[in-house]
Amino acid sequence: MTSASPFVLSVIARPPSGRMPDHNFRYWIIAPSVFLLLLIGLFPLIYSLVVSFQQITMTDYDTSFAGLTNYAQLFDDARLWQSIAHTLIITIIALPVELVFGLAMAHLFLERMPGRQIFISLIVLPTVISPVVAGATWRLLFDQRYGPINQVIGWFAGHEVVMLWNITPHLVYPAILICEIWQWTPFMFLILLAALSNVDKSLTEAAELDGAGFWRIFFKIVLPAIWPVMAIAILIRGVDLFRIFDVIWALTSGGPGTMTETISIYTYVQGFQQFESSYTAAIAFLIVGLMSVIVIWAIRRMGLAK
Amino acid sequence: MNLIKRLGLTAVGALIAATTVSAAWAESAADRAVKEAQKYKGQTITIVWEAGLQSLDPLNFSGPLWEKLTGMKVKVVEVQTAEMFTKIMQEYRAGTGAYDALNVMPSWMPDLANAGALEPLDAYVDKYGYKDEFQKIAPIYRDNWAKANGKIYGLPDDGDVFIMYFRKDIFEDPKIKDAFKAKTGHDLSVPKTWKEFGETGSALTEILKPQNVYGAAFFRQPPYTMFMFQERFRNEGGKFFDAETMKATINSDIGVKVLTDMRNENKFMPPGVEQWGFVENLAAFMAGQTAMTISWPPYGRWAAGYGTDDKALNWVPKSTVGGKVGYALPPGGHPELAAGFDLSIASTSKNKDAAYLFIQWLNSEDISLQRVKLPTTLRDPFRDSHYTDAGYLALWPDAKDYLKTLKDASLAGIFDLSVLQTDKYEEVLRQAIGKLWAGEDPKAILDAAAGEWDGITKKIGVDKQKAVYADWASKSGAYPK
Repeated sequence: MTSASPFVLSVIARPPSGRMPDHNFRYWIIAPSVFLLLLIGLFPLIYSLVVSFQQITMTDYDTSFAGLTNYAQLFDDARLWQSIAHTLIITIIALPVELVFGLAMAHLFLERMPGRQIFISLIVLPTVISPVVAGATWRLLFDQRYGPINQVIGWFAGHEVVMLWNITPHLVYPAILICEIWQWTPFMFLILLAALSNVDKSLTEAAELDGAGFWRIFFKIVLPAIWPVMAIAILIRGVDLFRIFDVIWALTSGGPGTMTETISIYTYVQGFQQFESSYTAAIAFLIVGLMSVIVIWAIRRMGLAK
Repeated sequence: MNLIKRLGLTAVGALIAATTVSAAWAESAADRAVKEAQKYKGQTITIVWEAGLQSLDPLNFSGPLWEKLTGMKVKVVEVQTAEMFTKIMQEYRAGTGAYDALNVMPSWMPDLANAGALEPLDAYVDKYGYKDEFQKIAPIYRDNWAKANGKIYGLPDDGDVFIMYFRKDIFEDPKIKDAFKAKTGHDLSVPKTWKEFGETGSALTEILKPQNVYGAAFFRQPPYTMFMFQERFRNEGGKFFDAETMKATINSDIGVKVLTDMRNENKFMPPGVEQWGFVENLAAFMAGQTAMTISWPPYGRWAAGYGTDDKALNWVPKSTVGGKVGYALPPGGHPELAAGFDLSIASTSKNKDAAYLFIQWLNSEDISLQRVKLPTTLRDPFRDSHYTDAGYLALWPDAKDYLKTLKDASLAGIFDLSVLQTDKYEEVLRQAIGKLWAGEDPKAILDAAAGEWDGITKKIGVDKQKAVYADWASKSGAYPK
């Protein structure tokens, strides 16, 4: 038997007394899961908030109330604001590039063609790789001694080239962006391919018959149709880029110096290398605050809340 | 008669007592530890050990042997080097008692000891008769690595020190010697100062480049170069702090000169050397592509081919320079005792005596000698007896030169800066090195680094740090004498 008959269900649902159960009963049913979620979600948040008002470091367990000391320190911490700037630079460049490339590729694969499914599977492969593995792989590819990239550039240049991708200031950001875009453009591609596939073809065909050009059709018919899905994809990737860690950690560890240190890397360094637990909690709340403002603004701006 | 009888009895008694005492003293520290540990038969002690090759020692050798001798089991918790301090502190803060014995880097000692995470070992050393063998640890390690606040917190257990390796065949080749003399005007010899190193490395690169051999190469990634900076800075006369004010003085002219020289040296090293870590540098030296390098002692053993057939070392490139490698102290003559390990006891251990007996046994003359000869486990000679052991001297033809250099290093070495929150200061140096390779101005880099050091000191407390620094600076291996 694969499903219960209505008779069986009615027997199970009806209490022995024959009366319907108390309405509060449903709350009791979900109470354990709600409690568990609060325990693992809310408790750490509250605890972190408490810690952010103390002075706990790994070597000094000072739990006395320190007021807003840690929050005041945030404003004087140049390295923190630099790391936020680095994060924004990466986000502002990578996000549009991933979007445009993803959209272009999705458009390309919209039409039926031989081997389409195989190509789509191959294109999507980078997204299933762990970002830290992707970063480590690109680090090897960029390596001066063992990496093929400089070798290939050398063939074209006709002589050995020395390009230290994870050290030279003007090469580190391109290296990070290449890795990041390589890994996550397929994500945009996949989502936008699904969205484009659902655009009503009769509308685009009618527009074409009326003489509308490619761009006009795209902006007037296709974009409005795919916008809700595209906006979600932008939001997801935007949030992902803001907390970027693994790829950069594997490629440059935030270096040279702190040149590519993002907010996630800085938080990690403060929390797990410098053991500034209370200050790290304050940074975490700064990030939560910043992210909340940005995401709420983005949701409203993109019309996703409608 | 009675008197004679009494005297006779006293003499016999004294003889018996003397025999018993001498028998007890004849017993080695290892034997004593085993005998005492048999009381704890069936119990398990947990020891934190660096993951990877290092932990093959307790996993494959010392752990099983200890169990066989005492009936005690050893549980090895392998932890990556970068996480060892955190794990140890976390367990201490949580009071779990999860760890009994620990491998601790000497530069962490002030933090761990002041936090109360380590058990003082003086009483155990006395109780289990380890004083004599403890004294026979090479003075540089014994006097600099074992104590914090005047108490023993760790048994120095790994003679980590930077040694210079050079290609004897290159330095003795008449044609190369002639070419060198023609180029520089003086004889080719192993450099004793950093100035000589720069000249020699540069000239050798020019002479040997057609054969794809470079004058020198180092591991240049910031974590390694940070140690080399500490060494060179002090060899050139630099001091880390003003002892009175605790203001950082790394941005002195000496510091700027060291950074500038380091960057200039990269010009005669293989392209991309700034990216090189331990393995890349090893690979180049083993392949015969570099005439000089500086590294920890395993390079010397592996270059001679010792133990590299072992499965655990199958990642080590096969040596093409066996029998051609000479050993010397790095330029300046005061090598860095970089990193290293002590054996310590966690203050939260519920099994302190048993754990102590295990580390005494590991650290003892008899057992440590066997351990430093294990080809795979990276423990390096650290006792006077290790440097003169007949078995070790016979391990490969040039082992005597190798051990002599290690002994010389043990007499002249200088150890890592060890103050409160050392890693924060080291992190600033690591970033400084990164900026140096990125092309920033050495003076600007060090001014910024000194500013960060001052900030760290201020946050810790100037007086608090001053006392710890004074303790460190008073040790024989803090600054070259």
